[in-house]
Amino acid sequence: MDFRRIEIIFLVVFLSLDAFLLVSFHNSQQVISNSTSGVTSTVTDMRKRNISFGKLDKTTGNAYYLGAQPDNVLASNISQLRGQEVQYNQTTHKITSTLTDPISITSSNKVTKLDKFLKNKTNIIKGKAYEYAPQLSSKTSIVYAETSDLGDMYDKTGQIVFSVANNRVISYTQTYVNNLQILHEKQATKSERDVITTLYSNSEIPNNSKISYANMAYTKLLTAKNSTIYIPVWFITIHNKDSKVDTIKKVNAFTGNIIKTSTNGDDYSNE
Amino acid sequence: MKFSRLIIQIFLVVAVVTSLILSFFIWTNTARYQRGRDVDVSTSDVDKNKIPIDQVISPTQVIWQDGKDQRLIYNNEDNISMNIQKIIKNWEFDNFKRVFTKDGARYQRMIQRKNAIQLVYPTNISSQTLGYLIGDKEMQKSPDNRFNRIIFTVNNSKDNYIYLGNDSTYSVYRAKVSNASSAPILKLARKSNIDLPVRFQMMKHGIVTFYTEPIKLKTYSYVLNEKQDSEYTTSLFDTDSSDIVTSTDGNIYSYNVGESKRLVSDHAKGELTFSDYTDTSVPKDWLTFFQRGYKKATNIQSSVSNLRLYNANWKEKTLIYREYVEGFPIFKKSEFGSIKISFSRNGSSESFLNKVLEVPVPSDQNSVTLKSTTSIMKSLETAGYSPNDVQKLEIGYQWTNEEDQNDVVDLEPTYYIKINDHWRSFENWTNESAEEE
Repeated sequence: MDFRRIEIIFLVVFLSLDAFLLVSFHNSQQVISNSTSGVTSTVTDMRKRNISFGKLDKTTGNAYYLGAQPDNVLASNISQLRGQEVQYNQTTHKITSTLTDPISITSSNKVTKLDKFLKNKTNIIKGKAYEYAPQLSSKTSIVYAETSDLGDMYDKTGQIVFSVANNRVISYTQTYVNNLQILHEKQATKSERDVITTLYSNSEIPNNSKISYANMAYTKLLTAKNSTIYIPVWFITIHNKDSKVDTIKKVNAFTGNIIKTSTNGDDYSNE
Repeated sequence: MKFSRLIIQIFLVVAVVTSLILSFFIWTNTARYQRGRDVDVSTSDVDKNKIPIDQVISPTQVIWQDGKDQRLIYNNEDNISMNIQKIIKNWEFDNFKRVFTKDGARYQRMIQRKNAIQLVYPTNISSQTLGYLIGDKEMQKSPDNRFNRIIFTVNNSKDNYIYLGNDSTYSVYRAKVSNASSAPILKLARKSNIDLPVRFQMMKHGIVTFYTEPIKLKTYSYVLNEKQDSEYTTSLFDTDSSDIVTSTDGNIYSYNVGESKRLVSDHAKGELTFSDYTDTSVPKDWLTFFQRGYKKATNIQSSVSNLRLYNANWKEKTLIYREYVEGFPIFKKSEFGSIKISFSRNGSSESFLNKVLEVPVPSDQNSVTLKSTTSIMKSLETAGYSPNDVQKLEIGYQWTNEEDQNDVVDLEPTYYIKINDHWRSFENWTNESAEEE
């Protein structure tokens, strides 16, 4: 009789042990699946919070550290310009020009009209080296960014900014980076998805907003030894649907660090 | 009565067996789960900004024998060694078997093979480590062989092997490779823009890469980042700053957390030493050794950098890391390189410098032409150092003009020679310049 009781006690003990083992086994399985789906859950979490965005690109790229020295290529070509009043600043290496005949534009034809304007040597020096950058443009200014086979440049040192008033382009400023030099071997850059999830987890993306642009471009990091150093930076435009305000967030594409400075997309150095 | 007892007994047996099976599953599964986590170290969100481990433990020299002569190749826009490693990840390997050991003559023929590519590590690593780095589970489980060279032939359809060479024991291991093609490797090799003729010379203390002709190398400049002690205390102590007790003695600043952890910072030299007296376990195998070292090294220097494993001393359980520029190590003014990590039963220690190279800037210095290694050896002999004294010899970059501009340092190439366990530049040993006149 006693032996039977011992058997029952053993049975109960082993059954509860089994139950415990089952639960812990189940838990360990769950941990595995959690660790692999971390990023996916961030993305679904963002959708839940009414943040809209297109498909996020997972592919990582490569980019360089680039360097350039200040250069007077703009100054030496000023004589080719016609139909405008040009000023050149020796220290900032910048052209400021007022057009004698302003160009009238509409929101639908502004790009084609300005593209055509840029192609003519007598209108703009090295105009073919620039491309329209909608992310940097606003109602009062249209920005063309310098491009090369190394990539786009979103920086005050390499762009044309057209000023618009009453649907007419009245003037522009121009800077140009000549002879970009590769300073260091190719290095991996963060993917679009990496930077957007980083921004989200750092509470940089408000609820009920839209990611309207995500571009990687070179921008000035610092000046040293009379050279300007450029690094690849992700420019992410976030449109807040409540306040209707656009903000540009910048993320260092090499390190994935968020660059916290001004919100006006074209430059983050203190210039 | 008897029947119900039988049922209880059957249930009991079933319950015992189930618990045994479940325990077995949990045991094996936990192992798998933990290994999965280890792999995740390089990819999980928190560590995304760290330098990947296959970049830290990576061959630094690529040698190409193109049928005629042997050359060191490099591409300063796109790292050849890293790209070859990426290709190797897709190859399939059989088990490694030893071909020979302690045979200097055969070893020399091996490392001078025609139509071969060699990837040379600055130090011995192990085949299990390689298996881990290229994601080959089988290799990770097979016997652990030490090696510092990976050799394989290109343009030779009869030789389907990959060879691992060990300079210190003159041993070679080989394994059959499938799913491999030499075409993408040759494409990378042809894209090189630095191409230096070399010869491997067997000397008393090992094999030295001889540059057979005077070589022209660029100088580089970097923006320096001098880190404050506080940047290290947060990552190293992993505790509230209120628990840290600070004391100073002249230029020596000490930070303590109880009796267990201590950081000593020498502000005059810019050198720091961190001791963790709770970390008393010593790695039992090479892979753990490297993984633990990697974790510590990237905790100190996590940003984008060209940190490479430079020396692994298994006997003393120390690891040395250096920064690299264009495939050549940078010699700072310290004896220990950039980071030195030691494990011991009394606790681990980490020595490092607070100045980190951060951003490359265009150099305003001219390129430097260095003498051939043969004439360097001759000058050493005239200065009283016989070739047998030379433990190691290599080209490295030295810091110059640091004082002119505080935040920018120039890196200039020169020969570095290790004699009597001391690394010094050629100028330091001989008072002569290593530059060609």
